[in-house]
Amino acid sequence: MASFELIATIFENLGRRKARVALTAMGVVIGTAAVVVLVSLGIGLQRSATAELGSIGSLTQIQVYPGYGESGPGMVMRAAPGGGGGGGATDQKLLTSEALQELSALPGVVAVIPQEYSQAGGMISFEGLEGYSSIIGIGTNDLGDMGLTAETGTLELRHSTAVIGHRVPENFFDPRQRFEQERPEPPDLMGKQLVLTLEKWEGDGSQSGPTRKVIQLRVIGIIAEARAEADYSIYVPLDDITAINEWVLGRRISRAKEGYSSVLVQVEDVSQALEVADLITELGYQAYTPQSFIQSANRIFLILQAVFGGIGAISLLVAAIGIANTMTMAILERTREIGLLKAIGATNQDVLSIFLGEAAGIGFIGGIGGVLIGWIGGQVINVLAMAFLVGQATEGGPPPSIAIHTPLWLSLFALVFATLIGLLSGLYPALRAATLVPVTALKYE
Amino acid sequence: MSQPFARMTGLFKTYDMGAAKIRALNGVDLDIEAGSLSVIMGPSGSGKSTLLHLLGGLDRPSNGQIEVGAQALDKMDENALALYRRKTVGFIFQSFNLLPSMTAVDNVALPMRFARIPRRQRYEQALKLLERVGLADRAYHRPTQLSGGQQQRVAVARSLANDPKLILADEPTGNLDLSSGASIMRLLADLHRSGRTVVVVTHDARMTHFATQTVHLIDGQVVTEKEYEAALEMLIAEEEEL
Ligand SMILES: Nc1ncnc2c1ncn2[C@@H]1O[C@H](COP(=O)(O)OP(=O)(O)O)[C@@H](O)[C@H]1O
Ligand SMILES: [Mg+2]
Repeated sequence: MASFELIATIFENLGRRKARVALTAMGVVIGTAAVVVLVSLGIGLQRSATAELGSIGSLTQIQVYPGYGESGPGMVMRAAPGGGGGGGATDQKLLTSEALQELSALPGVVAVIPQEYSQAGGMISFEGLEGYSSIIGIGTNDLGDMGLTAETGTLELRHSTAVIGHRVPENFFDPRQRFEQERPEPPDLMGKQLVLTLEKWEGDGSQSGPTRKVIQLRVIGIIAEARAEADYSIYVPLDDITAINEWVLGRRISRAKEGYSSVLVQVEDVSQALEVADLITELGYQAYTPQSFIQSANRIFLILQAVFGGIGAISLLVAAIGIANTMTMAILERTREIGLLKAIGATNQDVLSIFLGEAAGIGFIGGIGGVLIGWIGGQVINVLAMAFLVGQATEGGPPPSIAIHTPLWLSLFALVFATLIGLLSGLYPALRAATLVPVTALKYE
Repeated sequence: MSQPFARMTGLFKTYDMGAAKIRALNGVDLDIEAGSLSVIMGPSGSGKSTLLHLLGGLDRPSNGQIEVGAQALDKMDENALALYRRKTVGFIFQSFNLLPSMTAVDNVALPMRFARIPRRQRYEQALKLLERVGLADRAYHRPTQLSGGQQQRVAVARSLANDPKLILADEPTGNLDLSSGASIMRLLADLHRSGRTVVVVTHDARMTHFATQTVHLIDGQVVTEKEYEAALEMLIAEEEEL
């Protein structure tokens, strides 16, 4: 039988029995829609979970401190080793410029960024408000290298400018304010001038007060929420911090000899962080990575994948059984028709190709309906869930981001799946009916 | 005498119903001449339908030979049998067996589809056949929109679709009123007159009137008219006793 003739016959036959076909296709529609909604929900949840976890930039970051050999302290030190310059154990590994090159050569490392904290206590003031945030000198011109993104302005630092963390404005308060008074709205610091007042105590502290130094910083960018240290930090160019620390120490600092007090190593992928940290430790430095966090994050990913993979598989199975059931019934009740076709001269192959074609056609039609309904259902659930979550969201917390997501591949997969299940579930009853002795098929009740 | 159109020799058809074995056909020897009109008579359950099904290639004998037009049906494979049903036989059922989702003309054209006849030609031919059975004006009606007699006439037109030599009709008037039945009888007689071999299972005297051969079946065996009358009388007597 010519394939065109076959396809024409199949669609004619389906067209002649619209009500019956629609009824049979309903089973396919429900199964397919269930698969689409459930898998979309899984994908959506995983995506939002990934977004939440991924936004913690520190997952791809390793904090590296100088190594002090066997005798060195296990604890993290904020300040660089004292002004002695050199001295100490010979197996000391300082974060010199040379060391930076060594680190950047490690596999998976995309950026090596020196970090230096201000060694002077400092108060930041802005229009009568006061704030205390840690000030970090950063050895890169673009904070984007640290996996940060800008909320407003730029992340490219220049001399006498600062890029501030998302929550820095919240740390400003009015010193004249009494306890019971409500806190004012956090100031909008973008493009504003901050005044940094540094203090140091010189000599034996016998003087009447500290020496002060005032520095002006213009805020040129605010970092988007990172859920990490960056949210509470003020970043300035490394040279600016070096100048401050040289003022505090009263001497010049040689990076080639003394190195940096810490270095941020950025790796390409979360999965590499632990491995690279181990390599850095082997080199003799101290490497810190939020590893327990990474491990539990990986566990959560695995559980999420297992749960939604499982739900998807179960819904596929249920859908397949439902489709097979309706298809079997639909073909069984046409056994007499098959007997008649054979009586007027149809071969087994004729019958089989017509009935399998119709089964696949019903699967296809039901698949289209299921994908449409599943997609629409997902959108409706999205809207409802969003409305619910917005109502539930705590004040100042992050906006809800759970969303059903139906990718194109899922729709195509569901369509192919429905067609295939239709075809496969038609196979057994069609084969059975096609090979019946015509008289037996004709007498079938 | 020349070779008959169809020849059945020692034909058996048995059904295994658990412990009991039902012999629907119990050793039938029967010749059907080309161009004849045979009427098969027999009480209910005597094996008339079974005989017609074997002759039409709708079922296989348990034992014995059946030859139609020099083809041995009992030795054919599935495909050859399908081809035989398509080309050589036109079958008319008591219950019409039209496909309810199709119009009259669709039903008549259907056998030609399996004969790979182009669509246009199929429908032209189907319309001609419907005209021949007097239903040109009902071509686009569905079976449910037709009377029983009209449905059976559509079925007769369908049986002619591939221009078969052999027409088999199993109680074609069984579900019809007298006048509808009469028109079917006339159609079958016409088919016989036009040279086809026709075998009809019926009790209708109007058909036996046209018959060139009458076959009497009792308990799956061909019997003479005398034996048949005697067996019928016994059956009636048995029923009266009950
Ligand atoms: N598929 C079957 N299974 C079991 N017995 C059958 C089957 N078909 C027919 N028979 C039996 O075979 C006998 C002959 O049936 P049939 O040829 O239909 O009789 P008729 O057409 O003369 O009334 C009956 O006893 C019937 O019950
Ligand atoms: Mg019968």
